Amino acid sequence: MAAADLAIAPMLVPLSTAVLVLVLGFSRRLQVAVSVTGGVAYAVAVALLFQQVAAAGPLVYVVSGWPAPFGIALVADALSAFMLGLAAIVALPALVASVQWVDPVGQRLSYHALFHFMLLGISGSFLTGDLFNLFVWFEVMLMASYVLVVFYSGAEHTRAALQYVVLNLVGSAVMLLAIGGLYAVTGTLNMADMARRLAEPAAYGVDPAPVVGLSALLFAVFALKAGIVPFHFWVPPAYRAAPAPVAAMLAGVVKKVGVYAIIRLSFTVFAGTALPAGLAGFPGDSFLDFYAPVLLAMAAASVLLGGAVAVAQDEVDGLLAYSSIGQVGFIVLPLAIAAAVPDLRPLAMTAALVYVVTHGVAKALLFLASGAIFEAVGSVRFADLGGLTERAPLLSATFLVGGLSLVGVPPLLGFLGKLFVFDAAARTGVVAPAVALVGAILTIAYVTRAWNRGFWGPPLAGEVDVRTGDLALLVALAAVVIVLGLGAEGLVRAAEAGSAAALDRGAYISAVLGGGST
Amino acid sequence: MTEVALALVLGTLFAIGTFLLLRRDVVRVVWGVTILSQSANVYLVTMGGLAGAVPVLGHNGGDHGLVTDPLVQALVLTAIVIGFGTTAFALVLTYRVYEEQGTIDLDELGEGA
Repeated sequence: MAAADLAIAPMLVPLSTAVLVLVLGFSRRLQVAVSVTGGVAYAVAVALLFQQVAAAGPLVYVVSGWPAPFGIALVADALSAFMLGLAAIVALPALVASVQWVDPVGQRLSYHALFHFMLLGISGSFLTGDLFNLFVWFEVMLMASYVLVVFYSGAEHTRAALQYVVLNLVGSAVMLLAIGGLYAVTGTLNMADMARRLAEPAAYGVDPAPVVGLSALLFAVFALKAGIVPFHFWVPPAYRAAPAPVAAMLAGVVKKVGVYAIIRLSFTVFAGTALPAGLAGFPGDSFLDFYAPVLLAMAAASVLLGGAVAVAQDEVDGLLAYSSIGQVGFIVLPLAIAAAVPDLRPLAMTAALVYVVTHGVAKALLFLASGAIFEAVGSVRFADLGGLTERAPLLSATFLVGGLSLVGVPPLLGFLGKLFVFDAAARTGVVAPAVALVGAILTIAYVTRAWNRGFWGPPLAGEVDVRTGDLALLVALAAVVIVLGLGAEGLVRAAEAGSAAALDRGAYISAVLGGGST
Repeated sequence: MTEVALALVLGTLFAIGTFLLLRRDVVRVVWGVTILSQSANVYLVTMGGLAGAVPVLGHNGGDHGLVTDPLVQALVLTAIVIGFGTTAFALVLTYRVYEEQGTIDLDELGEGA
């Protein structure tokens, strides 16, 4: 087995697990065992890949031996490995929680297979080096997520899913338009080849002018997937409708696929292109100068709108959904800084990547805690929780850890994210630090308000019976938040490597086109 | 001439798709999405260029001349299969919405919150 084969391990593992659990429908015990083993195997595969990439640089797997740029190349560089790491950290606890919460009939029929197919789509999106292939993996991921969102198929679930499905279908059509246009203009679908041609448009006979609009179309689709304002409106109903572990995956990982695609396309592929002269109103001459104001506006809108609406929510899931809109703003904000100020690019990109992980893990913990609360209390409305600290102290403590991590209290993981974002923001003008500051205050406001209304106060009557399994899972995930926060150095180094990989266009191009072997 | 005709057809298809997408009836919305994605497919075919022979080697004996780009046709095949799956799912979902809510009028769905 060549080292490059390791690059497809994060895709082979969920694929074979999904097929196996479909076949094993006759025995629930066997099915669950295989599914969870698949989750563990996924984490192991990602860890091995991560180690290999860190030690020996990017791995390129050429599908069927057709050399890039003609065949499809799968590229595992430090950025892809970093994102896969997040997927593995969130997927395993979500899977274990699903076993306990999702009803057994649903699990036997399709739940586990869908979960692993979604994981397959996520891994494929992170690994592919081909634009059309990215579209295909998006569809794999979305198709599974459509069914998972509507899994309970009650009245409100079907309504939310309808909105989610129609929006994403329109998004897919728009993505096809953008990809077709880019192919017609550049003559290639391979991302590395496209980056190479766009960096020297004259040498390859490429006209950069249409690329501006086409890349903006692609960007809109990715922003829709990431749920950035003004493409955020599907987020709250979909997260509320989805089973809690699926919501944890959607908020923790699927959203980040959109963020990853923005980073990969805008910073690795399009960044080298000179902006055609005469595009009024945009200073500078790089594509990133075109995206910087757009990113900044969208980040500010997400942070403010998500945070402000989250304060007014009266149930846990709604609060978490709006909070995740606001928190994605905190990821886009450093991206805007990275696009605007070339000197700060590595630092700001590192900040965005660190925040991707801190938010992903904290939000997964919170959504799973919300699921456990629903299992124990039968409701996630703050009014029905009343004084949960007295009725279920340990469960409340895990929620507190997640909440404080969102706020950014040291030594929790979230502190690191906030630290890096503020570090990057403080080196720019007034707008970015102001947005970050107001966003942080709003975060404190809604977390405090949730804590006061749902967890403190006079306890309501009635038994609260939290299952030991749920508690163990949440405590373990809370421990991850604390331990990763204390041992931050590894995470920061991984984020720096990912940031370097995202920005080093030459290394990406030469890894893919300069002699990758099968 | 083909370019102009196809451009007109594409424009009309997109217009019809968008119009249907904005209807209140969920089935029409699904139709709208389907037409939109099909017109994206037609657009994708035109992106390979319209001139040239059919991209099947050996089709016209020895003289191939200029052959149309076969890649976009492979892309469209993939996109059609994906579109087929998503359309089927959207229609099943519509039926489920009707079962759960007793209506497929989007205005009435919105009120039932």
